[in-house]
Amino acid sequence: MISAFSSLGIGGWLALAAMIVTPASQTPRPMSFSATLTSIKINARPGQVVTRQFQLTLDPGQPRTHFKAKVEDWWRSQDGLQSHYAAPGTLQRSCAPWTSLNPVESAVGPGETLSIRVSVNVPRELAPGGYWCALTVDQVPDPLAAQGVGVQFVASVSTGVFVYVDPVERQATILGLRTDSDRAIVTVRNRGNAPLGIEGRVEFVSIASGKSVATIQIPRGTLLTEPSVDGDFAAALPAAPALPSGKYLVRAILDIGAAQDIGAEQELIVTRTPPPNGSSR
Amino acid sequence: MSLGLLTRSKEIRMHRPFARISALASFSIFLVAASAGVAGAQTTVTLPDTSQTTLLTATVSEQARIVVPASVSFNVSNIANSTAASAATVTIDRIVLASATKQLRISVQAAAGSFTPPAVGATTWSASDVTWNAAGWTRATGVSGVMSAVSFTQVATCDPGAADCSTTDLIFTLGAKPTVNRSGSHTLVVTWKFESIGS
Repeated sequence: MISAFSSLGIGGWLALAAMIVTPASQTPRPMSFSATLTSIKINARPGQVVTRQFQLTLDPGQPRTHFKAKVEDWWRSQDGLQSHYAAPGTLQRSCAPWTSLNPVESAVGPGETLSIRVSVNVPRELAPGGYWCALTVDQVPDPLAAQGVGVQFVASVSTGVFVYVDPVERQATILGLRTDSDRAIVTVRNRGNAPLGIEGRVEFVSIASGKSVATIQIPRGTLLTEPSVDGDFAAALPAAPALPSGKYLVRAILDIGAAQDIGAEQELIVTRTPPPNGSSR
Repeated sequence: MSLGLLTRSKEIRMHRPFARISALASFSIFLVAASAGVAGAQTTVTLPDTSQTTLLTATVSEQARIVVPASVSFNVSNIANSTAASAATVTIDRIVLASATKQLRISVQAAAGSFTPPAVGATTWSASDVTWNAAGWTRATGVSGVMSAVSFTQVATCDPGAADCSTTDLIFTLGAKPTVNRSGSHTLVVTWKFESIGS
């Protein structure tokens, strides 16, 4: 026993003790890091080269972790609930084929920062309008981590790269307004040649009194030009006491980044019902 | 239930630049009038020597700190029933974004269409057998969902302007699969996606 103790050493005994105290099925330490999330927006001329940086810092106490970086195409479903990522060049307006990264793979130690240089080489022959792609930094899964029946998580951060070549046409039309039990939804069509950053508000005016009853803010979202030019922009309705069931003139006013805001109004019957089980609010 | 009735639709245009120009013009006229008023009684005003000052500028990137579980385990004791994992904690804090209306989005996607079974060819679960609840999020809106290997499906969106958002009761559930006939490790890699993609 004494010889065994000697051969293991204090470190070995501490490790053995930890194994006894810690069951194999114990949940591994959560993954934690900080990252820059700034979308890269460039008003560029054909032939121009623009360089930016992305940074990711692993929190102290984290194990050394591998990350891979890539540029890919990106779009959202019309309802905004699904994000799709695909190989560079899947979309016609992709900037991924002419955007490069360095490094594309790196191991990061606890407390260390990974800096990735993003170089956008705007082609000389490029039609006017907006182009976009996504910079994605993926955690590489640890092949030894999986045990039992379960899901192994890895983290991924994506930020946008948007390149605008003049003349940029920012135009959109509101196709429809509707409400469900807890949201107001504005459907918008992009009629320009570039992605639009869209935000705004929806006002509810009582038909009976003509007074504004409630106003909600539409959070900022992005409307692309492909694969779909249509997108839904939604905001939660206020609580039922502030906006009870009834008939309203509903007015949407959206800032699409153009010289003029766009708007539409429509009479709607709003019916408030208890939130479904699938909603957290 | 949606009861939207389309009865009238009219597009309106808001002339915002006009409003801004009007405000600027008013301000300029005021300055001219004020200057005219003091022209007859000039006084000496000592201006700060800007050559001896240094402007300090901090350029702050959009950023956030992200804490996600490394894994969740399903202790499957009866393949004929669904199995819920322990509640998972997800935290995003130190959120700095470009505007008060911009949001951070959290979604998930499976790396494969099915779990990797302990033996090649053995029956196992599909990625779509994994579901999650809407959970009670702080300063975020959670959405229940079904795992996809094709697209990232939203789990939650942090509130506009939130400095942090989190949950401690996100529960992933593995559906019943009576045809599974191999014990051991059935594993699936799932990616947490944190997006702040906005034009």
